Amino acid sequence: MSTGPRVVGQRLPRLDAPGKVTGTAVYAADFALPGMLHGKVLRSREAHARLLGVDAARARTLPGVRAVITAADVPDVRYGGALKDETVFARDKVRYVGQPVAAVAATTREAAEAALAAIDVAYEPLPAVFDVEAALAPGAPLIHEAWPTYTAIPILHREGNVCNRARIVAGDVERGFVEADRVFEHRFRTGMVHQGYTEPRAAVAVWDTSGQVTVWSNTQLPFEIQNTLAEILALPPSKIRVIVPGIGGGFGGKLRVGVEHFAALLARRAGRPVKIVTTCEEELTAAYPRQSTRVELKTGVTRDGRITAKAGRIWFDTGAFAGSGPGVASVATLVLAGPYRIPNLLIEGYAVYTNKTNCGSFRAPSGPQANFAVESQMDMIADALGLDPLDFRLKNIVREGDEGPTGQVLTAVGLEECLRRAAAAIGWADRRPTADRGKGLACGWWTTTGGSSGVYVKLNPDGTVALNTGAAEIGTAALTGAAQVLAEDLGVDLADISVVSADTFATPFDFGAQGSRTAFAVGNACRAAAADLRRQLCALAAAQWGVAAETLTVRDKHVVGDGKRIALVELARLSQASGGGLIAHGTFIAPPTAYDAKRVEAHVYPAFHSPSFHAHAVDLSVDRETGEVTLHRYVVAQDVGFAMNPTYIEGQIEGGVAQGLGQALSEEIVYEGGRVLNPNLTDYKMPTTLDLPRVESILVEHPSPVGPYGAKGVGEPPNIEPPAAVANAVAAAVGVRVTTLPITAEKVALALSGEATP
Amino acid sequence: MSFECHEPSSVTDAVALGARFGEEGRFLAGGTDLIIQMRRGKVGPRHVMSLHRVSGLDRIEADGAVRLGALVTHRTIERCPAFQGPLQALVESAAVVGGHQIRNVATVGGNIVNASPAADVVPVLLALDATVTCLGPDGERTLTLDGFLTGPGQTARRPGELLTSVRFDQLPPGSATAFVKAGRRKAMEISVVCVAVRLTLDAAHARCQEARIALGAVAPTTLRARAAERALEGQPLTDEVLRRAGRLAAGECGPIDDVRASARYRRLLVETLVPRALRRSLERIGRAA
Amino acid sequence: MSRLALSLRINGETHEVLTAPHRTLLDVLRDDLGLTGTKENCLEAECGVCTVLLDGRAVNACILLAAQCRGRDIVTIEGLASGGELHPLQRAFVERGAVQCGYCIPGMILSAKAYLEECPEASEDGIREALAGNLCRCTGYQKITEAVATAARELYGGRTTQ
Repeated sequence: MSTGPRVVGQRLPRLDAPGKVTGTAVYAADFALPGMLHGKVLRSREAHARLLGVDAARARTLPGVRAVITAADVPDVRYGGALKDETVFARDKVRYVGQPVAAVAATTREAAEAALAAIDVAYEPLPAVFDVEAALAPGAPLIHEAWPTYTAIPILHREGNVCNRARIVAGDVERGFVEADRVFEHRFRTGMVHQGYTEPRAAVAVWDTSGQVTVWSNTQLPFEIQNTLAEILALPPSKIRVIVPGIGGGFGGKLRVGVEHFAALLARRAGRPVKIVTTCEEELTAAYPRQSTRVELKTGVTRDGRITAKAGRIWFDTGAFAGSGPGVASVATLVLAGPYRIPNLLIEGYAVYTNKTNCGSFRAPSGPQANFAVESQMDMIADALGLDPLDFRLKNIVREGDEGPTGQVLTAVGLEECLRRAAAAIGWADRRPTADRGKGLACGWWTTTGGSSGVYVKLNPDGTVALNTGAAEIGTAALTGAAQVLAEDLGVDLADISVVSADTFATPFDFGAQGSRTAFAVGNACRAAAADLRRQLCALAAAQWGVAAETLTVRDKHVVGDGKRIALVELARLSQASGGGLIAHGTFIAPPTAYDAKRVEAHVYPAFHSPSFHAHAVDLSVDRETGEVTLHRYVVAQDVGFAMNPTYIEGQIEGGVAQGLGQALSEEIVYEGGRVLNPNLTDYKMPTTLDLPRVESILVEHPSPVGPYGAKGVGEPPNIEPPAAVANAVAAAVGVRVTTLPITAEKVALALSGEATP
Repeated sequence: MSFECHEPSSVTDAVALGARFGEEGRFLAGGTDLIIQMRRGKVGPRHVMSLHRVSGLDRIEADGAVRLGALVTHRTIERCPAFQGPLQALVESAAVVGGHQIRNVATVGGNIVNASPAADVVPVLLALDATVTCLGPDGERTLTLDGFLTGPGQTARRPGELLTSVRFDQLPPGSATAFVKAGRRKAMEISVVCVAVRLTLDAAHARCQEARIALGAVAPTTLRARAAERALEGQPLTDEVLRRAGRLAAGECGPIDDVRASARYRRLLVETLVPRALRRSLERIGRAA
Repeated sequence: MSRLALSLRINGETHEVLTAPHRTLLDVLRDDLGLTGTKENCLEAECGVCTVLLDGRAVNACILLAAQCRGRDIVTIEGLASGGELHPLQRAFVERGAVQCGYCIPGMILSAKAYLEECPEASEDGIREALAGNLCRCTGYQKITEAVATAARELYGGRTTQ
């Protein structure tokens, strides 16, 4: 292809847009089957209590009720990710307000709600812990008394309420502090936030007479749900089909089993299809939000601004179950080390149980929390040393060939370019343009998650191509990106590709829509499948013409060579007439990233694959009297490796920044005494159209040697830096350093009035 | 939610139904509060009397005294040409209630009867010395809005009585109003604090002749800051006088701590926003003159 | 429980519906009529995914009793494209990359339609103000705002300030 890419790199409309703008696209929450019942989940009203009894007898007699299930009716199985500590319903005791205790299915939603109200639950309250400090205090009540007996991946470091402590040790941190001229110690806190997807979690389940269950769900990970359901239902995975009809946003909140298991269990009991859709209250009290954190950072610096050592600790309040906690605590250590050359490191990430909802993964899990601390502290140190925050970063950032914190060798490092371009675009030279106005910078790095992907690519009778992938399209346009790769490599147009996705029986395995990996991994699998299909097409044409296949190529919807050409549509006809049509298979697994195993302990995620680098800059004003922040401009320079479809990469950046600004300024799930005070969208405050500035995206391209056409993961990174960038800009504007998230107007105003330290 | 739905076609029918069902009935206007409260299980009327077929309550009369029918929507207030001048605070307050979808259906009568201390239009009406008219089985009665609001979610409305209109006088020359609000977001916010003011200056524009200050979300009901008002009346409105009014208003309100803000911050906002609204009002009088 | 017989005019077509009094327009659209283009989420008029047009005005179908819609004109997202031809707003959303997960998009488009009919001289500030009751978690609203401005230019030929 000497003329350069025709499809990749182009701003082409996503393939699934027409269905979404006409209302014909079916999402899980829209899905319905004949005879379908409505399921509802009864949830604990106590934060920590012995469960004395669950009496569902009265509920079972109510009109319209077709199934009522409690812990007594389901297999006694503990499931989970790295650590299997979760049960379908609370057994013996409840561990948070919102924990499932029973479930019902009825002919209407109202009847199901009435049945929930008729279930009597007797609790005997136990002492509870609501934050990390209380959970770690000597003599604190144990959330899981039997923790040593739980199944877990062996590397975890667990002790009581700590369900993992991951660690990075490099060099000699104490010696590093001795070498420093100044040592800075700071503490930070961040609040619990929800992914805020607009479509609630939803599932419809139905069993057939052979004992096979089909579940339509808006999960990001159909294959993981298949395996989890196999564990919970005590069935082989071959009896469990998971199909994703469509997803109204996920952002990590739909990775793990949500309501699929309740739908399946109720449907089995009722002998009819059951649908469950979560309520807004369930979302904000019993989903998988981003963990609140506490961070301590100690950083040693020479007089001229070189970092000699960093000791950092981050504690994640993971809630009543481990969830993503052990992994998130691991990833956090890489973020906390930061994209800086620091010879001496001691970084620890703790996942700690409390009597709160089980936290999970939210777009760049641990990223915003750890980056907020790191990048706030960078500015605080620069200010203390009298250095410009940009210069201070440039003195310390990683560059091509440097080692990452765990010894991985960094390549395709676009960080300096990101920082310089973001700073230039925001007008860094004029950092405090007028009174109460200021600009802030933050930078960071992130991973492109590994895991394998397979695709089938099938030639349609009309010469177009079906892409069959196990990945779900969660909104990012990643599958349009992968289809662009396929179209490019097959010499067809994007419009010639149709996508079939996310059906555990019909589509090949995929590790799932998580970790910024979909376009990257599925795109690479498409490259392999395209190569296979090209070989098959050339072989078919070669057989027709009696020439060697090696002399032929696929171009412009034809096989050409030997002075001849034949259209794909004709080859499709030939292949169907003679050989059952053409299907190609392509797979991809990201190659392992080498790191120094001696530097890590209990670490689930020791290196960042095909790391991306990014810098954010914001220009804002602060109302000195009310503390209110007004955002004027926002700039992101992100090293995306190769911009597969600039329109949707901008979309990822604009949307990720929006979510990050929500966490920075307005969002927090607020607990008091184990209860959420704001379980509704009136008081869980996600940004509206009027809260967000225009975002300027600068796409920096330092190609990944592994990514398709050099692409790196792009989905999560834009969510990482906004809190730090805002904190730094607020400090620049009015001199108030807020070290806790969210940076509410109240915190800023009270600090300015001298009434409180933020 | 489970109830009988009634669709009266006139005020007379509505009032008759109201009388019949008493405490077991609720009038439904825009439904932006009532439906949500019913769904949350906070209220459970057995009879809902939807007013969508009742005509005549959705009009604004502004020749002489201003009369807003109870079913006038926030969007109608926002776009009413008669409120572009000295009554601008009505537009400012109506325009920050929810999004267009809410404002297209949410009514002024509903906002008053709902009696949320954080209501946005209510403080403006209070600053305009508005009265409300209720129609019940015993006939019509008119109350001051201030007297009508008795507590959070509580009013002097008797069971079955229908609030039909709210009324206030046109402002004399040398008057203006202003409304300011603080919330965590710039839209879709329930006020953390809101402030409505009305100022009338003397003929020479030298001193304040009459002042009204009403505060939202800092007391069990929308609150008149009377001490702050007194501190303005008869005075030349220097910045120091305005700031003093802010301090007095902060002193006389009684905010609480809740998930939206602390009482301390709310007081600080009152102290800040009262002079800010007064300044804005003064500027408007200056511009008009 | 009592039932109400309602005649609802939706996308120009009259539907006879028998429903319980407490059911909302959203319930009837999605569950009884299969018009699932109108989405369901918060059920408290905070998120806007259920936005439909009632007599041309944007409203939240989640807090509107079906009974309140008797004899009024309802437009849902299914009523916009005609004869397989996308409405200019729909086309602009596709072409400007304004769609990600898409769950908020039907409501966005209907809010935008009501706004443009009221204010053909759309400004960016006006568009943002008109869409403030529609939460989107994917896009940051930027490309949505651009798409509405693009459609406004196509529909009304006006110059839209960016």
